[in-house]
Amino acid sequence: MAEPGQTPDAGRGTDPSAAASGLKMMSRATYLREALLKNLFLVCAVVAVAAVALIFVFTMARGWEVVKDPGLVAFLGGSEWSATLGRFGIMPLVVGTLAITIGSLVLGAPLAIGTAVFLSEIASPRMRAVVRPAVEMLAGVPSVVYGFFGLVILRPIVAEMTGGMGFGTLTASIILAVMIVPTIATLTEDALGSVPPGIREASYAMGATTWQTIYKVLLPAAKIGIIDATILGMGRAIGETMAVVMVAGNAPQFFKGLGAPIATLTSQIVIDMSYATGTHKTALFGLAIILFLISMGLVALVRALSRLNAKKA
Amino acid sequence: MVTLTASGCTSEGAGRTEVIVTGSTTLLPITEVSGEMFSEEHEGTTVLVSGMGSSAGIESVSTGSSDIGTSSRELKENEFELGLVDTPVAYDAIAVIVHPDNPVRDLTTMEVRAIFAGVITNWSQVGGPDLEIGIVNRDEASGTREAFLKIVMDDAQFDRGAVVLPGTGQVRSVIADVKGAVGYISLGFVTDDVRAVAIDGVVPTEETVVSGDYPVQRVLHFFTDGEPEGVAREYIDYVLSPAVQDTIVREAGFIPITAKEGLGG
Repeated sequence: MAEPGQTPDAGRGTDPSAAASGLKMMSRATYLREALLKNLFLVCAVVAVAAVALIFVFTMARGWEVVKDPGLVAFLGGSEWSATLGRFGIMPLVVGTLAITIGSLVLGAPLAIGTAVFLSEIASPRMRAVVRPAVEMLAGVPSVVYGFFGLVILRPIVAEMTGGMGFGTLTASIILAVMIVPTIATLTEDALGSVPPGIREASYAMGATTWQTIYKVLLPAAKIGIIDATILGMGRAIGETMAVVMVAGNAPQFFKGLGAPIATLTSQIVIDMSYATGTHKTALFGLAIILFLISMGLVALVRALSRLNAKKA
Repeated sequence: MVTLTASGCTSEGAGRTEVIVTGSTTLLPITEVSGEMFSEEHEGTTVLVSGMGSSAGIESVSTGSSDIGTSSRELKENEFELGLVDTPVAYDAIAVIVHPDNPVRDLTTMEVRAIFAGVITNWSQVGGPDLEIGIVNRDEASGTREAFLKIVMDDAQFDRGAVVLPGTGQVRSVIADVKGAVGYISLGFVTDDVRAVAIDGVVPTEETVVSGDYPVQRVLHFFTDGEPEGVAREYIDYVLSPAVQDTIVREAGFIPITAKEGLGG
């Protein structure tokens, strides 16, 4: 409270002489404002937590009945998803989600980590001023725009490469790879930035080149932060829906190659939700529960890794 | 069923009246334009139109959330008990479409079925070039898919590896772009970008649909919960009038429901 910059603020609305004489004393108005703000922020946090809790409770309430019909084994282990036949096995969707997620990480993670290394270690300040906003802007592009780009531009190119129509794992993975770059790049850059400068300087002092410093010193030092970043990027890839629906082909079949149509947990919910009733609707909420659990698992993993990192440091 | 939002006022024309029309996206070209014209001609009346699929339309009219449920398919057995009244408004033919460069011009119903079931996988098997067939299917909420399954597929299942696209426009643009692709859309939405193949030797045209020669066709329905009353009745009569049937219905590529009567059918 005693910071000089805050003094005029603290005195506003009270007797000026009191404000001038008592820098360390809190006026009644200030006290009230502080208390009000504290509670306001508490309310903000509570609303956020309540929203998550409510969504979880609602999804659980609507979806838990999958254990009765179609039954947990048929739901988790079933190899066919066909609403018209009353079959709700999520295995093809889980495999589809996995395939597209792995594909997007294989393509996107190196790209993003490379971008982060460039921004953190190589780029001149002027270069950085151009590249960083561009990367951040990727995060702001609406996913339907990514999907449209994938459908119109990328799909025909993939069709040339793989045969078929270009809908499927490869197209979806490429689009998702670009979409997860900002998440992974930003967090990786933070991780690289938090490596103590002494380590970097010691490396250069030993005569190491820039590449040797990056490869042998910085990346290992920031390893856990980079893994964190990748996991959060993975979360983004798993949850992405609109862009995937537009380019994946949405066929709930097992992975049949990079160029074959495929469906994911999220895309199936979107395709089906407009008309689902009864067991079908319950099964869709079941899919939502699975997605919720995956995302909880990923967050838990990130927290565990951060704790590990803190302990090491 | 008609939602009156007048504030207890008794003078004529002072209340605002809404007719809520929900259902098949296939019927949107009819319902949207005719609804707008009806609203213009009847001051204080609004026709609210939304397209969510035939099943959603039937569900919403039976639960009372809309006044008219539009559907591009017949009622299913479990929907008979809802007590809905059916007013046919137009005929629609489903065209099997291919890339314009595809030399295959004629398929039998059996061949179409085998293609969409994934049994025939190359155009050379039906007299075309050695080119892999790419099936484009609609999502299961689609009334067109439902009708196609019923009319063409019989008991056969769709190939599960087929690309599923959630809209007529998307199906058409992909088929216009991919040489080996095949799909199906309402005849009303066929453009020069794609070619509609003849089925069992009959090219899908208005004449062949009305005459009953073209096999892949269906009736488009308005469903109401009981006999339509009030403004909903007026709107339905308007849709059935020549003002709509001979203009909007025709321009959308559908065949007027009145056309068959003219042929004495």
